[in-house]
Amino acid sequence: MDQLTTNVLLIEDNPGDADLVRLRLVEGHLRVKVNCVSRLSDGLAFLTKESPSLVLLDLNLPDSCGAETFRRLMEHSPKVPVVVISGQDDEVLAMKAVHHGVQDYLIKGDISSKNLERAMRYAVERQALLRSLEIAQEQQLEFKNQFLSHVSHELRTPLTCIHQYVTLLLDGIAGPIAPDQAEHLKTILKSVNQLHAMIRDLLQSTRADSGKLRIEPRCIAIGDLVQQATAMLRPTANEKKVGLEIGLEQRLPLVQADPDRVLEVLINLVDNAIKFTPPDGTVTLQASVVEADPSSIYISVSDTGRGIGPEAKALIFERLYQDPESVDNNRSGLGLGLFICREIIRLHEGRIWLSSEPGQGSTFTFTLPVYSLAKLLAPVIAYQNRLRPSFVLVRIELTPLTSPPRGNWKEVWQQCIEIVRHCVYLDKDLVLPPMGTSGTSETFFVVASTDLRRSGIMTTRIREQLERAADLKTNGTLTMTSVPVQLPVADIEESLDQQVQSVAACIAQMIQTSMERKHLSAGKSAN
Amino acid sequence: MAKPKILVVDDDQDLVRAMRLRLRANDYEVTTAPDGYSAIASAQKERPSLIILDLGLPAGDGFVVLDRLQNSDVLAGIPVIVLSARDPQSNEERALKAGAAAFLQKPADNDELMNVIRVTLGRASERPATPLSP
Repeated sequence: MDQLTTNVLLIEDNPGDADLVRLRLVEGHLRVKVNCVSRLSDGLAFLTKESPSLVLLDLNLPDSCGAETFRRLMEHSPKVPVVVISGQDDEVLAMKAVHHGVQDYLIKGDISSKNLERAMRYAVERQALLRSLEIAQEQQLEFKNQFLSHVSHELRTPLTCIHQYVTLLLDGIAGPIAPDQAEHLKTILKSVNQLHAMIRDLLQSTRADSGKLRIEPRCIAIGDLVQQATAMLRPTANEKKVGLEIGLEQRLPLVQADPDRVLEVLINLVDNAIKFTPPDGTVTLQASVVEADPSSIYISVSDTGRGIGPEAKALIFERLYQDPESVDNNRSGLGLGLFICREIIRLHEGRIWLSSEPGQGSTFTFTLPVYSLAKLLAPVIAYQNRLRPSFVLVRIELTPLTSPPRGNWKEVWQQCIEIVRHCVYLDKDLVLPPMGTSGTSETFFVVASTDLRRSGIMTTRIREQLERAADLKTNGTLTMTSVPVQLPVADIEESLDQQVQSVAACIAQMIQTSMERKHLSAGKSAN
Repeated sequence: MAKPKILVVDDDQDLVRAMRLRLRANDYEVTTAPDGYSAIASAQKERPSLIILDLGLPAGDGFVVLDRLQNSDVLAGIPVIVLSARDPQSNEERALKAGAAAFLQKPADNDELMNVIRVTLGRASERPATPLSP
């Protein structure tokens, strides 16, 4: 069995049985070091520190029994080969074990040195084979991703050239052109843009496949994104004479989501809806809260198109799926858009679905998690089962010197939030995640459980540290305000949990008002 | 005032020709280089106000060029806009860290490109004469 199995872990609580296994190993002249533990938990602890070449496992242990034993072991260390040594000659259990990835199932009474040695050697071999298959599979996936990434780069290069020359002609830089020639060029440009979108989707779906699609959640107002998506697609809708309407509920809670990715989802859904709606139809975007599910926000995109049949409905979010009855058959795209939407929403721990009746239009709905300040703030608001006496809300706003901000602006504000995190007390204060869509100014809030005096010291420290950060000095300006939180009158009847909720609601209200004020003043000069 | 001079570094000569026409139409003087080596030589000789840089280049790729520029006393002040077909997810941050002022993916929207050029040039002219210490 050479050097491979020099180190064996034996998990066996019966000293007699353990000795028997050792004896068989000695008889077989196997040069192995046996580490014996009697509890599964000790075995798992051993496997965390060391990597034996094989585990010999008894199933009935003081802290685990039967199938549960190998299930827990395999879950903990899926890569190590396992041979069960059991007192029970139970074929059903043995099959179950093998099904779970156990390499062999030996009966204690039947073990000879020869068959033990053989079982161990084969187990190690088979496990190695399995592992190399897994590695090959991973490599193949990696290769596919690299290939697609390379292809999309190579496709972009000639596309860029076409794009440049078409726009040169269209913009009249290469000389005057007749109106109908301009129309032809616009048609070329539209196709170029479609190709570009397909290449982007190809890359996004590859990322989703390999788990490289990432989100950076922030605290955002979904209304902003809905407006943004509508503004971007208004020209497309107008061109097709399709109405584009927005229905936003008043006072929607903020959501925790990645603004860029959610915008991608909205654009995808609205663009699809416009595509499948006949002229004079309407596409409607709505965002609302459903009473039965207060921790989510529901965003829907409805159209007055021909609707989607039950067959297509079941498959529509699958990759590469295309509705065979799709109206716009010659331009149906790659069939990746909705797949990417589903993956993005899944990363947000939301859901996406379709409701549609043929002839009645379709509605795509997705959910995003409501930004729960109460959950985040609970440890700051209450300490050792008591509400803390006072709170201050500190608002930090970083405004870039130029618009659009220079390239490393994101790096600058991320560095700033790190500095702020270092300036607060971990157990008393909380730096909330960034607010609003990024791009223009960045606003952070710190909730400090303190009075104005300590918060004064804290804000001075934050200001000093931030001003010392050279990158901020050359890139942006800093505005800071501290406002004490006016606590709601405590109701003696209320449980601590309810009190935490009402304080959090109070702080949330202050933040929302503060953000809305920022919206109103956006575009005006500072003051 | 003299027209700002822009150095376009790209190995795709068809694209360079189109860029030259567009930049000239926007009142810039244009000089070009087809690879990393001539990009540095050209930057030294021509002292452009701004460089538009592709990443995949023969004779020293875009990152090598960025590195050379940053390590040169006389060239470090020239702002660089990276214009590449490569995936921004794996290249944007790296380019910005290496000293680029902006990263745009090909094909870039022309209005956006012109706007970024304008803003970057405006910022460069406000900057103090001595480069900031790292």
